[in-house]
Amino acid sequence: MNDLSIWLMIFGVAVVSLAPRILPVAFFSRREMPPLLEKWLSFVAPAVLGALTAVSILTPAGKIDLSSDNLYIWAFIPTLAVGLKSKSIFLTLFVGILSMAFLYHVIG
Amino acid sequence: MNKQELHQGIREAFPIALGYLPLGFAFGVLARDAGLSIIQCVSMSALCLTGAGQFIAIGMSKSGGSLIAIILTNILVNLRYALFAASTVPHLKGRLSPTAAAALSYGLTDEVYAVSMNRYRNHQATASYLAGLVFTAHLAWIGSTFAGALLGQFISNTDRLGMNFALPAMYISLLIMLVRRKTDIYAALVAALIALLVGHFIPAAMATNFNIVAATLIGATLGVFLNE
Repeated sequence: MNDLSIWLMIFGVAVVSLAPRILPVAFFSRREMPPLLEKWLSFVAPAVLGALTAVSILTPAGKIDLSSDNLYIWAFIPTLAVGLKSKSIFLTLFVGILSMAFLYHVIG
Repeated sequence: MNKQELHQGIREAFPIALGYLPLGFAFGVLARDAGLSIIQCVSMSALCLTGAGQFIAIGMSKSGGSLIAIILTNILVNLRYALFAASTVPHLKGRLSPTAAAALSYGLTDEVYAVSMNRYRNHQATASYLAGLVFTAHLAWIGSTFAGALLGQFISNTDRLGMNFALPAMYISLLIMLVRRKTDIYAALVAALIALLVGHFIPAAMATNFNIVAATLIGATLGVFLNE
């Protein structure tokens, strides 16, 4: 890609990544939202985090990997336990990173 | 501007920033490798703020993908943000001016979305809080990109520091906190299953995060039905 194409790519990607975040807020901030839509949207957060969690743990390299070689599955266990017990993002993150570093050096 | 709220937003952005460091760094390294200048790397992170979208754009441009293909793929990748954005509106309405709400929503990443929704469960939304959260996360993304673009050739592997698990760990803890109703658990489980199945059978969907969009649509719909 030449220099101009790279800049066009950057601006193009900027438009299509920022518009979907700004426009719905601009639209619904000035209008009533149908109650059913509001209810439906209240399930978006748990659904999207369920999907992101599953994909990040079980497909670390872009493909489903349920083998015991998948370190993400092993790191998931202590991280989930600490998350459920502590309900603290920071502590959960800390234990997750530490578990992964440990696994990497011991097994990986 | 409410200082206390601003500080709260900045504080809550720290775990997000920590998760972004290795990712932004990796992006800087790869983007340099794909032929972007340091200024272009940093501009891309400053203007786009879309982790997966940026990685995909770089990957596609390196393998000779056309500009149109890159943009179209990015539309798919970023579709989920429209859902996120719409679902924050009931919390922002009446608390932020429509202009401030729309403007600050530019920074609604997966992580900013989840953290702010968690906050809104027990606290009113404020522009100061959202600004602190959004700007701090964005700054971490830009700064780590710059570091990666600058130092990429010297440091290679952040995996051995366990940093590759920062975002998964963050998703786990946010999932735990955002699940309140029994139906939330079902929505999350079904979405998890759909995301894996769609991603498995349609690899292109996995590569563009479109499996996340499909999973969210189905999971949320199921949640509404079970809640009736």
